[in-house]
Order: sequence, then structure tokens, then C-alpha cells
Amino acid sequence: MARLTTESTIYVTYIATTPEKCWEAITTSAFTKLYFFGRSIEADWKVGAEIVYRTPGGKVDVQGKILECDPPRFVRFTWHVEMIPELKHLPDSIVSYRIERAGEGVIRFTMTEEHPAPLDERLLEGGRSGWPLILSGLKSVLETGKMFKADPPGPPPAMLEYFKELRK
Amino acid sequence: MSKSTFLYVTYIRTTADKLWDALTKTEFVKQYWFNMHQDSDWREGSSWEMKNSKGEVWDSGKILESHPPRKLVISWHHEHDEPARSEPNSRMTYLIETAGPLVKLTVSHESDVENSTLIGKVSGGWPMILSSLKSFLETGQPLPDPRKAA
Repeated sequence: MARLTTESTIYVTYIATTPEKCWEAITTSAFTKLYFFGRSIEADWKVGAEIVYRTPGGKVDVQGKILECDPPRFVRFTWHVEMIPELKHLPDSIVSYRIERAGEGVIRFTMTEEHPAPLDERLLEGGRSGWPLILSGLKSVLETGKMFKADPPGPPPAMLEYFKELRK
Repeated sequence: MSKSTFLYVTYIRTTADKLWDALTKTEFVKQYWFNMHQDSDWREGSSWEMKNSKGEVWDSGKILESHPPRKLVISWHHEHDEPARSEPNSRMTYLIETAGPLVKLTVSHESDVENSTLIGKVSGGWPMILSSLKSFLETGQPLPDPRKAA
């Protein structure tokens, strides 16, 4: 029987940049297209506004609502996957990005993926395999200015198993 | 199953060989590990030590598995501060995999102690060290110490 969890996924990385540049990198499509598997981002960066990550083909991948917004330090928003049919029925997760100064010319970037509603723990593997690749790319783009060519990983084995059960 | 675990994955634009050297050669480690370095010949059964710039030993252990440039497993005992010093050996694993033009580095650090103080401490340290390692390999420059105020 599948285990349900409300555990958060947290990823911390330190980047040689300023809070302002990092904020720009997470909030503008010119940057997100470089490291977020080609996704563009659309949002009016205010509490209550809608936020959308869109694929290069124009499909809505993720859609949510901004819960907290304090540029250039913090943004927290609901996260609903629209593009993968097997995940559409899931309750919202909450994703936040926190930017803090940490030493001379360095920031600490913290991504937190919260699951307020209990979720099959196998589904957490999606974020756990995707975020390190996305956020390694964010760091590379900010530090080297170069595109980080990486294809999105396919759903991890635990998630495929979940999909299979769903179809039964 | 370990009672306390730290797990971290980072993708670096480099080669497996370069990453292995950066993780094991003292002259590289000294550049990005914020004034600490490790001494070992990294052969199975050999010992290793983590020292600060004055040569004081902070951590020590043995090489349990060594498969350059893919996998390293070491036992890890903290020597400096209580209560972490009283904990039994923890285990640390580097796993290096090629991922297209990138290299995927997975670091796992596990202890059989529930709510291990050591794992708590290294959970704060590893992201800093591995971020500095990635900067060092991709830009030639390590990170300034994030713990030092600007």
C-alpha cells in the first residue's frame, strides 16, 4: 500500500551573484528558458496573481497563484501540474524561492516544495529528480552566462509505478 | 536503513575524471573547501583525514570502496566537537554519473544514529562545499566563504 506523506523537498545552493540578478533569473522568461527545460514564466509578481510555467510549444505545464511576494527575497506560490494527465487530479503543492545574502558576492538560494495535502510519497521523486537539475542550471547561468543544455528527465521509476497503478 | 541521511545532487559541466580529481586531490580540495582539506591515497582500506589549514584533524575514517572515477564510499568519524564526536562512524558516498554534457554528482551521508548531530551539521555544510566545487569546476573560481559577512 502506498505511503502518504506531507514531507517537503528542500534544495539549497549558493550562487556568486546578487539578490537582484537572481530574482531576475527566476522571474523572467529570458532566463527561465535557459535553465528550466525551456519553460517561460508568466506572472504579475503580486499576491493573488496567477503564475504559469509554459513549455516552448506554448502548453501550460504548471499553473498556480502567488501567496507571498517580497522581491528580491522571497516568493511563494501554489503549484498545480497541468501537463501530465496522471497528475492533474492532485491537490496543490506550494513552491517557494528564498534568496538571502551569504558572504561577499554570494547568495543562498533555497527552494522548498511543500505538500500541505498528503500525497503518495512516490510522487515526490518527480521534484527530487527535477529540482537539482533545474537549480544546478540556474547557478550555471548566473555564474557563467552560458546555457545549460539539459533535457528534462523522464518521470522517475517510482512515479511510473504510480501511473501504472492509477490506470488499473 | 539508516536513521539519519543527508542526500544532495548537483549537475556540473565537467568530466567524471576532472570531478574525481577535484574531490580527491589535495591541491584542488584546498581551493574550494573553505580552508579545509583531506589527506588520503583513496585506496580501499586506507585511512583519510579532514584537516584545517593549521593541520588540526576535524574528521577521519577509512576508505570502504574506491572505484575511480565513479564511486567512493568512506567511513566518517567526527573528531572535533561533542556531541558529534561521541557518535559512531557515519558513511559518506560520492556517486559520479555522466548525464549528457554534464556530470551528475550524488553525495549521501548516512548515520545509524537517530537525529544524528553529525548529519545535522554536514547538512548545512555540504550544500556550501558542493556549490563552491561546482563554481570552481565551471568558472575556475571557488565561492567566497558564505559564512563570512560581506
